Amino acid sequence: MLRRIANHLFWAARNLERAEWRARLVNVNYHLLVESPPQNPQAWAPLLAITGEREVFEERYTSADETSVLTFYTFDDENPSSIRSCIRAARESARALRHRISSELWLELNTLYLDSLSWSPATLEASGIYAFFTELGGRFYRIAGITSDTLTRDPGYDFFMIGKMLERTESVARLLDVKYHFLLPHVEDLGGSVDLLQWAALLRSASALEAYRRVYGNAIEVERVVEMLLFDESFPRSARFAMNRLGASLQRIAALSANGTHQLSEARALASAKLANLLSSSCVTDVIGGGLHEYLLQIEDECTNIGEVLSADYLRFE
Amino acid sequence: MVEGNAVHIDGIAFAHSTRRDAQIMRSRIGMTQGALQMSRPMLVKPAYSPLPGTYDETFEAELIPRAACEPIVASLLSASPERINELRARADRMFLTMGVTFNVYGDNAGAERIFPFDLVPRVIDANTWKDLEAGLAQRVRALNAFVADIYGEGKILRDEVVPRDLVCGSSQYRRAAIGIKPPNGVFVTVAGIDLVRDHEGRFMVLEDNVRTPSGVSYVLENRQVMTRLMPDLVRKCGVRSVENYPSDLLASLHEIAPPTVARPTAALLTPGPYNSAFFEHVFLSQQMGIELVEGQDLVCVDHKLFMKTVSGLQQVHVLYRRIDDDFLDPLVFRSDSLLGVAGITDAMRAGTVTVANGIGTGVADDKAVFAYTPAMIRYYLAEEPLLPIVETHLLRDADVRKRVIHDLDQFVIKPTGASGGYGVLIGPKATYRELAQMRDAIEKDPAAFIAQPMVQLSAHPTFVGQGSNVALVPRHVDLRPFVLLGSKARVLPGGLTRVALREGSLIVNSSQGGGSKDTWVVDA
Repeated sequence: MLRRIANHLFWAARNLERAEWRARLVNVNYHLLVESPPQNPQAWAPLLAITGEREVFEERYTSADETSVLTFYTFDDENPSSIRSCIRAARESARALRHRISSELWLELNTLYLDSLSWSPATLEASGIYAFFTELGGRFYRIAGITSDTLTRDPGYDFFMIGKMLERTESVARLLDVKYHFLLPHVEDLGGSVDLLQWAALLRSASALEAYRRVYGNAIEVERVVEMLLFDESFPRSARFAMNRLGASLQRIAALSANGTHQLSEARALASAKLANLLSSSCVTDVIGGGLHEYLLQIEDECTNIGEVLSADYLRFE
Repeated sequence: MVEGNAVHIDGIAFAHSTRRDAQIMRSRIGMTQGALQMSRPMLVKPAYSPLPGTYDETFEAELIPRAACEPIVASLLSASPERINELRARADRMFLTMGVTFNVYGDNAGAERIFPFDLVPRVIDANTWKDLEAGLAQRVRALNAFVADIYGEGKILRDEVVPRDLVCGSSQYRRAAIGIKPPNGVFVTVAGIDLVRDHEGRFMVLEDNVRTPSGVSYVLENRQVMTRLMPDLVRKCGVRSVENYPSDLLASLHEIAPPTVARPTAALLTPGPYNSAFFEHVFLSQQMGIELVEGQDLVCVDHKLFMKTVSGLQQVHVLYRRIDDDFLDPLVFRSDSLLGVAGITDAMRAGTVTVANGIGTGVADDKAVFAYTPAMIRYYLAEEPLLPIVETHLLRDADVRKRVIHDLDQFVIKPTGASGGYGVLIGPKATYRELAQMRDAIEKDPAAFIAQPMVQLSAHPTFVGQGSNVALVPRHVDLRPFVLLGSKARVLPGGLTRVALREGSLIVNSSQGGGSKDTWVVDA
């Protein structure tokens, strides 16, 4: 497996997952706003803080109004993390990967990219924000389905999964953070009706509401939601599920290197162990007690760390 | 269904008819010319007139198909315009969804186009093919011997069969190739020989392509589309399969690998996704099951070539490169090239890696050297050339130059170094101003041009126009067969038939608005 190819697979997966979760993040914030007091001039600001892009945003936009923020996240070509930029980057990776991926996957991704070229505030308005992002979410699912059904299970698949799961872990952390840290500043609202609606919206945005109901019943409790999204081993969008999946792929790749000339990196082993440890040894009561926001930041830091170490070990050419 | 039956019945009628019957049928039906028409529901005939004074690939004379083409005329060429439109639309869709596209230089990144495809296959009967095959293999063996000789002993230069200054002064001559000795002496692993037919239907060589000839992926994809669209017709005609090309290519690559390696690793080197032939690179590497690499994936260590993989460095023994010499090794050629790999020339010299095609092979397809190819065949193989070449005049000779310049409007003038149909002047169609400019250019640098007589290229029935305007018209074609050289020569049955889609045009290159056809070698 060529390093360049592994690198493309890793980044194609990361960019697709990032685009998908950006869409979720925007959508959940939109849902929360629909059910909160109107005309809040700061309604979209938290999102920018959460994704760490406030400075980038403020360089070119004068106010964090709905249109500006949606533009920034959806089709701003100068924002490298906008949904369209991510799709474009994933499509460019796929182009270099055409000999290794199915023509179906290429076609689907290429079509999505070509369609994204016509996105504008007008198309968002015309289709409605909810409908737009729902449709978009469906297309990401289709890409995931084709990938799962057509990508050969070789080391390349492991690099793809590592990219995807790393991005997913980070994104789950960010999604929870939007809600927990920023959107409910008043302690007295905790557990109130608005609060519950918001948690339900958040679960729905992670496609987790039905799964939640099956496991925990009707009542939505903060602790249970956090437990499900962070620690549920059987739910495919939880951080722990993603980490387990990532760990399995890392192990296979490490085994591959062991009988080659490649040196196993201690740094990488350590980094993945730290994150796995973080997720497996924590329980939700401790986490909320010790500060959820801080815990989520820790997860994000460890994800960044793994990404850097992996890149140094396997993906860089020189 | 009704339409299908009509075609079928008509097919039988035609298949069993003699030439004379066909003529009778013609007068009975009362053919009209122009747009494709239905004369009667049961007997649908093509309205098609061969070009006067031109060899027609499908028809001997008006309404009399050549024997091997009868089934095609009976079914495809007699189908209704609706059916033709439907088939064409399906073919286009297939190419699009399969992603069979080429990139156009200068366009925006990602601007990919379909190579226009014509439904009517070009048929070559088994006997004709047998002669062509022998002639092609002979030719490529001689071209290869020539390259091996000029970078080795240089016998042909010493014996003054080919002028030394012509070879060493060629823009494609590579000093760096001197002394490189590939296994089996193979420099030319893949050759694409461009053939045309004159007004009598004689095949002749127009030019050789022995650097990195492209187009073979279209041959294979065209066939795939035809077998999906018209399986019955393909079967009825007894078409020889082209399916083996990728495995033949891989076998040839293995045969030229350093002989000390038991299981050689081959890879295909591409300039990357923005190259015009990137699709073909993807296709061939996929079909052969070898890695598609870019320069950045490769490194030379201790005179060996390696790929950078996630489990360390992996040695490459044969590199099928699809980039030009100039970009292959920044230590030897262009130092600013990021497409190649530094040190690969040394590795070739050390014999740890074979590069196909070898460095400097381009000297054998230099258009001035072309004039000497019959002499090469006699010199190296002691055989008479089986395939004639189009008469070629070197303008460096003052007498020849004087004669050609005097009658410039009767010649085709080509720059010696260029490819892709660029810079070609077709005398009979040139304006006064173009002729004057060419005269100046020749006087300034006579060695940079050759002159060939205008060949009346053969023509082939081709569908043009859309919807209700679809019509069957003659269009000029050429043929690029592909020859592989390993421990033996392998010739792909058929080749790429390119068709000049514009009326009267003789230029068939994809970069110049040409299209392609499936090419059938039929045993029936």
